[in-house]
Amino acid sequence: MVELIDLVKRFGELTAVNGVQLAIQRGEFFALLGPNAAGKTTTIKMIAGLMKPTSGTVRVAGFDVQREPLEARQRLAYVPDFPFLYEKLTPWEFLRFTGQLFQMAESRIQPAARELVARFNLEPYLAKPIEGLSHGTRQRVAIVSALLHDPEVFVLDEPMVGLDPQHARVVKDVLKERSLQGMTVFVSTHQLSVAEEMADRIGIMHQGRLIALGTREELRWQSGASGALEKIFLALTAQDAERTIG
Amino acid sequence: MLILVRINTLQAWRRLKSIREQSSLLWSVIAVFIVGYLALSFLLFHRGLRFMGRFPGLGGLLTERLLFLLFAFLFALLLLSNLVIGYTNLFRNRETSYLFALPVSAQTIFRWKFIESTLLASWAFVFLIAPLLAAYGLTRGVPWHFYLLTLFLIGLFIILPGVAGSWLAVSLGRYLDRRAFQMVALALALGGLAGAAWWFQPEPITDPMLETRVLTVLDRLLLKTQFAQFPFLPSYWLSAGVLNWSEGALVSASFFVLVLSSYVLFFGFLSFTRTGGIFYEAFSAVQSRGGLLERWPFLRARRRKSPALAYSRGWVESALGALWWVKPDTRALMAKDIRFFWRDTTQWGQTFVLFGLLGAYIINLRHFSHQLTNPFWINLVAYLNLGACSLNLATLTTRFVYPQFSLEGKRLWVVGLAPLGLGRMVKAKFALASSASLCVTLGLVLLSCHMLKMPWTRTLYFASAVTVMTFALNGLAVGLGVLYPNFKEDNPSKIVSGFGGTFCLVLSFLYIAGSVVLLALGSPWSRGRSPVLGSPEMAWFIFLTVSLGLGWLPLQLGLRRLTRFEM
Repeated sequence: MVELIDLVKRFGELTAVNGVQLAIQRGEFFALLGPNAAGKTTTIKMIAGLMKPTSGTVRVAGFDVQREPLEARQRLAYVPDFPFLYEKLTPWEFLRFTGQLFQMAESRIQPAARELVARFNLEPYLAKPIEGLSHGTRQRVAIVSALLHDPEVFVLDEPMVGLDPQHARVVKDVLKERSLQGMTVFVSTHQLSVAEEMADRIGIMHQGRLIALGTREELRWQSGASGALEKIFLALTAQDAERTIG
Repeated sequence: MLILVRINTLQAWRRLKSIREQSSLLWSVIAVFIVGYLALSFLLFHRGLRFMGRFPGLGGLLTERLLFLLFAFLFALLLLSNLVIGYTNLFRNRETSYLFALPVSAQTIFRWKFIESTLLASWAFVFLIAPLLAAYGLTRGVPWHFYLLTLFLIGLFIILPGVAGSWLAVSLGRYLDRRAFQMVALALALGGLAGAAWWFQPEPITDPMLETRVLTVLDRLLLKTQFAQFPFLPSYWLSAGVLNWSEGALVSASFFVLVLSSYVLFFGFLSFTRTGGIFYEAFSAVQSRGGLLERWPFLRARRRKSPALAYSRGWVESALGALWWVKPDTRALMAKDIRFFWRDTTQWGQTFVLFGLLGAYIINLRHFSHQLTNPFWINLVAYLNLGACSLNLATLTTRFVYPQFSLEGKRLWVVGLAPLGLGRMVKAKFALASSASLCVTLGLVLLSCHMLKMPWTRTLYFASAVTVMTFALNGLAVGLGVLYPNFKEDNPSKIVSGFGGTFCLVLSFLYIAGSVVLLALGSPWSRGRSPVLGSPEMAWFIFLTVSLGLGWLPLQLGLRRLTRFEM
């Protein structure tokens, strides 16, 4: 459902993404980890179509993001780490607006929105302007608006930022349920617990390259480290750094 | 597209409503200002047009040429405004990034952003022009349908600079980092400036010429304005349409209406249907840019030569190091503020434009100061220059100094917790803003007095007046900024648009108007004494008292508020 084929992105002399090759299947929950400035957000922006790759191809649900952008975006949902919301709208108005942009029928918007609003405990905030909501509540509004049109691919950058433990649990549960129902989830996060708990496969990026890819067991074997994902992550990135310097 | 328009209209409407709900005083002040400006400018334009119309044999020609010139320069300003606003709106706007991740075509996003940018860039033009056209219509005794037509023509007119501005913005976004583009743009800019400087160089006119060869002189002066009557300028079509309709030449006027309409339809169609692809390319290029001068080999080589770990102080800190009497942490805060101002192009760009225009006007005073032999005119011009300088400063203190404390809001976890203390932080901002603006305002006033060939006593008088006003305006802006903070916003223009910012602007303008009138009435060089003020000393006493009150009081109230401050 998500294919990255020899993906490269350069900013002047800096190569932020260097030949990333990745295929994520339908219904797979994929977590992308990496140190700061590894190229995770740049990769995500190319998947969402916000940036043109310097070379390589990105396909979402079989559609080339650059050549068939509307078809790709129709099947995609993207929530960045600090999502843009229309401050003067209420969450309900924002949800309806998003549904209309995704050409959802009126008869679909209401029931879909109601279910998600109840699940994410947004009822008390539905009629309040977004500008007055906390960061965590805004994050929930953004996630609900992204799930509204039942996307085939859901891309999230740091989804748990600002969420309290209860609502973080709700997000994890909803994402896992949808993943089991066939939605492909692509999450970039620093929270290794999310990757450990949720992901079918984990990818680790370092200095623009995908240095490790596989299930947790496969990564453990690859790194030679045992124990928590943190140890595996640190071992792999350290090994890669040594290789680069060497 | 309609969904986007609807949702943003709803947003804008609610923003307006929230201003009214925030404070009825604010709403009333805004309404009074709007009505007051429209009424005052209408009166000024009406009197000016009547005065000009009374010139025997030349009145009509002068009025006509003025209209052509006005619309030509406004077209240029609209173009620049659309370029700046268009670039920010198209490439630096979070809504654009949000929309690109949704199933909305690049063409639709561009259409919406184009409409938004054109409206934002053009509303002031419409606001400025309306009283002028009303005054012109009244002076010429035009029929009622003249006003409907001009409204329609202006609506068409603003689209063309909108289209040109957005295309230029997209081209800039796409090619700005290319060396060839940079060289061509620089060459065009320098060539344009040189050409304008050569074309607009003043006519040398002597007193005998003014007395005996008026028509020749006038002819030479009007020659310089003929560019505004170039028939392929959109401003020409607008001006010609307005003039012809006012004179009852409806067929001719209709021709120009049709010309304007056809260009608007053609370029508007191209813009609405063909720009999406290149807009996305440009958007991606802007996001992907390493640096503007990245492609210049000598700069790349220089960067490679620098040691990887370069812990230099930088020139700002080195310069501030000369202020040995200022504490190091205060100097650090000042260095941060200077770098913040310098690295935000919109901040110093607007400052440069405002004061640059004023500077250009003052430098040109030398060309007609020898005709100002009557002391009344010299003094009047000097007081008007003082007022103009202070009004410019008031615009800048409200726009940039007032939001300073609010902008620290999200970063108060750094500054607020430092041993510096909020009080010293505010005082440091006042000191820096006052010093920086004093360099500019004092410089301009001294230049003005020099151009008007004033003796040192009068120069000292005006220099003292502008110094007092500079400190007062900065104190007012800083003080009100602390009393009415807005920590939710990152955008200075949104911080200013609240009650505090409006209050600051209104108070500043009233203070300047009152001070200039007060000083003029109490001028030591006027004939006779003002019956109200009695003496220049009384005028200065009142001026100083008001300045102290307006500048010192808000600052003190703000500092006192800080002792009980909670985020």
